[in-house]
Amino acid sequence: MSASGRTSSAAVALARRRFLAGVAAGAAAVTAGGCARGASTSAQPGTTSISNDNATWDDGYRAAGRELEKITGYSLRPLSNPSVTSYQQVVQMTLQTSKSSDLVKWSSGYQLKRLARAGGLTDLTPVWEACAARGWVRGTTREAVSYRGTAYGIPLYESYYVLFHSKPVFAKLGLSAPRTWDELLHCAEVLKRNGVTPFLASQVGGWPAIEWFQELVSKVDPDFYRRLVAGEASYTDDPARQAMDIWHDFMRRGWMTSPDFDQARGPGALKEGTVGMFLHGTWQASGMSAAGMKPGADYGAFILPAVRGTTPKSVIAESGVFAVPSRASSHEAAMANVGAWLHPAVQRVWSDFLQDSSANPGVRAGNPVVAELQRDIARNRRQTLVRYWESGPPSLIQGNTNDLGGFMAGQTSPATTLRRMQERAGDEWAAWKRDEA
Amino acid sequence: MSTSTTDRPPTAAGEPAGDPRNAPRRTPLAPGRRNTRERLAAGGFMAPAVLLVTLFLLAPFVWTVHRSFFSDTRTSPFSWFENYTLFASDPALSRSIQNTLLWVVGTVVLPFVLGLAIACMTDSSRLSRLARLCVVLPYALSGSAVAVVWNFMLTTDGAVNQVLTGLGLDSVAQGWLLTWPGNTLVMIVANAWQATGVAVILFLVGLQSIPPETLEAGSLDGATGWQQFRHIVLPQLRPVSIIVIGMSLVNGLKSFDLIWVLTQGGPGRATETLAVSMYNETFLELRPGAGAAIAVVLTVIVLAASWLYLRRQLDVKGV
Repeated sequence: MSASGRTSSAAVALARRRFLAGVAAGAAAVTAGGCARGASTSAQPGTTSISNDNATWDDGYRAAGRELEKITGYSLRPLSNPSVTSYQQVVQMTLQTSKSSDLVKWSSGYQLKRLARAGGLTDLTPVWEACAARGWVRGTTREAVSYRGTAYGIPLYESYYVLFHSKPVFAKLGLSAPRTWDELLHCAEVLKRNGVTPFLASQVGGWPAIEWFQELVSKVDPDFYRRLVAGEASYTDDPARQAMDIWHDFMRRGWMTSPDFDQARGPGALKEGTVGMFLHGTWQASGMSAAGMKPGADYGAFILPAVRGTTPKSVIAESGVFAVPSRASSHEAAMANVGAWLHPAVQRVWSDFLQDSSANPGVRAGNPVVAELQRDIARNRRQTLVRYWESGPPSLIQGNTNDLGGFMAGQTSPATTLRRMQERAGDEWAAWKRDEA
Repeated sequence: MSTSTTDRPPTAAGEPAGDPRNAPRRTPLAPGRRNTRERLAAGGFMAPAVLLVTLFLLAPFVWTVHRSFFSDTRTSPFSWFENYTLFASDPALSRSIQNTLLWVVGTVVLPFVLGLAIACMTDSSRLSRLARLCVVLPYALSGSAVAVVWNFMLTTDGAVNQVLTGLGLDSVAQGWLLTWPGNTLVMIVANAWQATGVAVILFLVGLQSIPPETLEAGSLDGATGWQQFRHIVLPQLRPVSIIVIGMSLVNGLKSFDLIWVLTQGGPGRATETLAVSMYNETFLELRPGAGAAIAVVLTVIVLAASWLYLRRQLDVKGV
């Protein structure tokens, strides 16, 4: 090999070393960047970040944030992750790190208790008490946002489970919103006879499988429902069997949509007149508007009547909460915003955006359909029951929701489904209580 | 015959020292020191890869094995093999194993048979390029996108049932994703629709590497088309077949994305495979110990199946 060749070889080696050094430096820079705090959750002056699992609410947070800014000096900066499953994982993992957002949207009840039990949430008891003293929050909801007596959440919204119905379809068929169980059955029969599927029922996404279960059990016997979700009654008891038999009968008669019907298509189906009634949370009112339906004119809503006239009246309520991670990057700002969240001026904007009822009982819903439901609940002194999803240990609820999905698909009979649910309830309540002890 | 670069005589040490043009820049190292240097250099080059694999693959695996021996209660005490006993006691996991086996058989057989058939039929036809493009295109799509499209087709009020109803076949229309084992089988078909593309590509490469002389010799000896395929083409496609089956085997065992988007393992956990069960137990049922046990079992099955298959196939080749 020639000398010149060696020079060339050495030059190549040098170039290679430089290249490798460059690559190593680049990799180190990228690694260092990756280890740094992400821009999304870092402190940004004048704002508080809020983790959220519903991207369609982002504009609402921004609008409410503008009102908050007038009160606290901090607006809201939503960070959305539209997959509920992945959202829950991200929140649970980041809560233990310094990359947590300032505010976290979460479910109330046992979902919140489990999160609080793992640590990493700020005690919001003083904030709760200040809100309660001003009459901004119902005292009865305290338990749903507390763990071992300490409040860890401030109500974000309050929704009720109701049956939306298509007013034009009902009018065309000479029907009106049913007030009794018999009227409901009559509506279903007439709708079915006219080629309209009476009820929307779905298990797409998992959790919707609970909707008809909680609704029917509570309308058979609300006190039993309360005892059932508290682990004090059995799934194989008579009221639960009765509710499942009704559900089974509805499916057998072809009164319910196929279980793989996606609820996202619910408003469209109601508008087209292919589905008569859509059981869902009142937060769906904004979805109705998005489908071009006017409240009161194109759609109405009613609470499912009790199976017997003598049964106490009830309504299933869902309440999301704001929680504040103890390692939030703008903790002070987050506490200020969570303290002012239930302020009537903020709730007016938020309720109008959602077209739903506010967690502040002093703020009336702007949507006339929801406002009428609020009046119904107050007038009839309906018992407010916690939604099944938040009512028990998360592992129990998730497992039972799967069983209900299987029942909807015709895999198991009502009796088998209830037996499995009861077996799981026995195990999971025992595990939860053991853990608590 | 070896062609290893290490057998070449070391140039610097082998050249005459008296020639100034060839004078080494450094004093030649003793063989022992040179070997050490070479080993160090090799180690240096390997270190980043080894470090990354250790950090992101082996360490999490060891941690997963460790976690699988602890229970899922709040204090997570050591519970020996309790999480592994779920495979015997939990009907959802039994169904998950059945589904995984169905997936393995389906994802090996369908892409192999269809891929081979399509490759053979399009290898020399006039419209071969267009046909190949049509078959290969789905492979370029993401699994999630494929699942969304199939969801439009397979739901009860989806395209498939609408077509069947339009053709007067109402009795055939059904909830394709609702009842077991039909829901698992239609998802396997959807997967085959996507996975066949890569098998076609590989088989085409294999077909084009077959020397035409062997086929000419066969035809001169009077072999028919089927005999040529059976005794000349198929044996020469063996290396490609090993790759196609090996890839399909592993893909079948780790099936996740299509199932997750189409059914999320439901309804009632009826369509879960082991990979979906692992995710479900860990993140939805919040039982990381059970999820870890499933992960360990799945890893053992994948490694064992791959090793048994490849060892047998490669031994035959004499590699």
